Amino acid sequence: MNSAQQLQHLYWRAGFGPRPQDVAGGLSPRKALRQLLHDSEKYEPLVGPGLNYTDPQGMVMTDPASTKTNPVPNSMVTTPDQPAAPGAPAAPVAPLRPRAAFKGGTIAAGVPRLRRAELTPQQRKMQNEGIRDAFNNMSTAWMDRMATSPAQLREKMVLFWHGHFACRVRQPGAALSLHNAMREHALGKFPDLLLAVSQEPAMLQFLNNQQNRKEHPNENFAREVMELFTLGRGNYTENDVKEAARAFTGWGYDYQSRFKFREREHDAGPKTFLGKTGNLTGEDVLTHILTQPAAATFLVTKIYRFFVNDVPNPAHIEPLARDFRKSGYDIADLMERLFSADWFYDPANVGTHIKSPVELLAGIRRTLNVKIDNEQPLLGYQRALGQTLFQPPNVAGWPGGRNWIDSSSLLLRLQLPAILFKNAEFAVALKQDENDIAPNLTKAERTVRPGAGAHLPLAPLQQLLGATPVPQQPEKLSQFLLQTPIRPENLQLVQQAAQQKEPAEALRTTLVTLLSLPEYQLA
Amino acid sequence: MATSRREFLRNSALASTLLLVPKFLHALDRGPGLARLSDATGARRLIVVQLSGGNDGLNTVIPFRNDLYYKARPTLGIREADGILSLDKDMGLHPALKGLKGLYDQGHLAVLNSVGYPNPDRSHFRSMDIWQSGSGSDQVVSTGWLGRYLDSNCPDCQRPYNALEVDDTLSLALKGSQRKGLALKSPGKFHQISQNRLLAKVSKEATTEHHSQVDYLYKTLAETASSADYLYDKSKIYQSTVAYPNSDFGKNLKTTAELINSGVESRVYYLALSGFDTHVRQHEQQQRLFTDLGDGLAALAADLQKNNQWDNTLVLVFSEFGRRVGQNASNGTDHGTANNVFLAGGALQKKGVVNDAPDLLNLDQGDLRHQVDFRSIYANVLKDWLGADDTAILGTGFERMSGLV
Repeated sequence: MNSAQQLQHLYWRAGFGPRPQDVAGGLSPRKALRQLLHDSEKYEPLVGPGLNYTDPQGMVMTDPASTKTNPVPNSMVTTPDQPAAPGAPAAPVAPLRPRAAFKGGTIAAGVPRLRRAELTPQQRKMQNEGIRDAFNNMSTAWMDRMATSPAQLREKMVLFWHGHFACRVRQPGAALSLHNAMREHALGKFPDLLLAVSQEPAMLQFLNNQQNRKEHPNENFAREVMELFTLGRGNYTENDVKEAARAFTGWGYDYQSRFKFREREHDAGPKTFLGKTGNLTGEDVLTHILTQPAAATFLVTKIYRFFVNDVPNPAHIEPLARDFRKSGYDIADLMERLFSADWFYDPANVGTHIKSPVELLAGIRRTLNVKIDNEQPLLGYQRALGQTLFQPPNVAGWPGGRNWIDSSSLLLRLQLPAILFKNAEFAVALKQDENDIAPNLTKAERTVRPGAGAHLPLAPLQQLLGATPVPQQPEKLSQFLLQTPIRPENLQLVQQAAQQKEPAEALRTTLVTLLSLPEYQLA
Repeated sequence: MATSRREFLRNSALASTLLLVPKFLHALDRGPGLARLSDATGARRLIVVQLSGGNDGLNTVIPFRNDLYYKARPTLGIREADGILSLDKDMGLHPALKGLKGLYDQGHLAVLNSVGYPNPDRSHFRSMDIWQSGSGSDQVVSTGWLGRYLDSNCPDCQRPYNALEVDDTLSLALKGSQRKGLALKSPGKFHQISQNRLLAKVSKEATTEHHSQVDYLYKTLAETASSADYLYDKSKIYQSTVAYPNSDFGKNLKTTAELINSGVESRVYYLALSGFDTHVRQHEQQQRLFTDLGDGLAALAADLQKNNQWDNTLVLVFSEFGRRVGQNASNGTDHGTANNVFLAGGALQKKGVVNDAPDLLNLDQGDLRHQVDFRSIYANVLKDWLGADDTAILGTGFERMSGLV
């Protein structure tokens, strides 16, 4: 493999793909990696006025005390409908109360939430739209960063952690706060990341720790923190789950969505967790989990599968895991080692990763310097392809790999370049159950159509082609766009497609055809 | 001995790594050989109808002799005088479900009450995930129950079109780790897409290289194109003359009947009717949706009966959850728990109302307690209707029902 191919591989895996100017720069992979690490050092939170959702004045808030008597067992936050009092036939409409009224109230059970059942249909619709817009704006703001930010490695790490610490909540503010916690610690020390994520209201709510009290422990968070976030199955017992759940009792959040340790709900008694005995707190449990060698192996394996190869190779993973642990779980250090390893550039690891829908779309935008007029349709394509940011399928995140590919998603992927750049006809109705925010949309409202207004600037590619004679241009472009060698018969197809077109149109056609090949689904 | 959650998940993980075993791949035969499976018309098939949004079961199968029902629903309760269609055991169908009543009268309908799962989840998305993956609420399984049926290597589930979803995108329910079903809105539209010039050319290319992921993509593409050809050709055989509701759901049912009556070798069909999230104005919405559902299923049954296909067809109708027992302040209902499931077909073992109405005296904080685990029904359908290994597909930890189908 030549150094240009290695460079492209690095940009695809450590970011969202190479731009022509990155390849033209001719950096060695080692230097490019140093640059990527450098460019990703700074933490810049995702913020903006469109990302917030504030309940319009006059909306009804739930009395926090009432949620105490009616905990929702195992429910997710995406469903805000609170049960009414047992046996009550019809909930009376609660009087309007200003938020301030809750400041002195008991907040043991949770933040006040809107009771959707008590909203007028008009209010409900407004609320749904407000929430949906905030989530859409969060997604597009993040997608913009993936496509344009120089901090490519941090953006890619945030996407990894977004799937690792998978969480779905209805409140955009809580989701954004969790996102920024991951963004801040994405390349920092894993213990800091784990603690920050574990104390985010979104996660506490999603995994029911808000309901975890001394008298009635809820094991959900304690279980998932070990099973999915740190150790993996087989590295702890059911008793460890029970004991850890006791340690996390009292971890919750207040009505302003801030972490709150409720001492009265906390079980301060002695516990034995993974061989350690004492009056362990939640912090103690997280710290003790990371003394287990299994933690580093589990985390590095997951990172390896995301960044290197679906098939984990213990010979590559074990040394990395050892160093990861020794470094105090320094994520940036781990990533530098991983991307510097000789085996990272093995042909077996190049062009073998099926791009996720987000990687596919962000990749097209970044590698081709695409300008988009309207990002809304792009969100629809993502959904139709099976990945909606901030809405992972469940607590285990997106399974990835071949799970992305079925007949219909593959056909849509292959048509996507024509939809984006040639306004090809397209109408796909999303499913009704895609989300909990607006579940009763009409079919017309659920239908995704073209109209992103994507502009494909040719100048950077013409620069890349330089003096390449016209007949050799498709091959040269295929080497830039595809991470797996193009088949001779496909090269022929690409050449035929561009025949007898004037140069600019021929170049555009060549590009769109290359992007439409199955090979482009791989990075 | 119950398989533990961990064992079940480990088995699923093992199944997914089997994907990575290199296989000798070659291009699919695109000729008539593809359709050479055993004659499909005699084989049994399953049609799953998903009511999306959480249908209010208590106003679907109405316990109209129970005062507690009317007490909980002073304005939303449906009265006998409104035209409830009386069934067995002091229950009756919503007045708009005349189509289902017709099936009931013919002995072609079974009603199961209080179907759900332990620790119910009230999120549409999560609860649907649970029903479609066929998991417990404390499990996370990233394949669908019918997808795992495809994975189970039965002779009639080797081709993507052996499980069809009549829609633009494929549901989790039909995604296995090795095999996936196929989504199509209509054979015509699907065929048209696969006829795109570039796609058509690329899909004909043989997969001879040993580059596993590329091979997988080409294999999927070749199978998709072959399936599109097959379905398009086959679907021209039969055109329905039965009147279906003039709605999206009605059209999808008609497409389903045409595929079946044309002899397409599909074991599973999957359809959805959506709009059941009735927090407000429930009466109007259920009236419209139930007309669509009842008339649609009655038309389907008639269409299949005409072609002697109804006896080997089983329809399973479910929703991700029922609604709360008490009505809310907007003449609607909020997310609840257990719900009814319908089975329909010409050869049901058990007909009519299978179990008692939900116990309204014994609620869990205003919600119905489930009496039947939905996986018990899935298990019965898989084993006794489709002849599959239900334990391998669903795991254990619940009783398989017997004698339903």
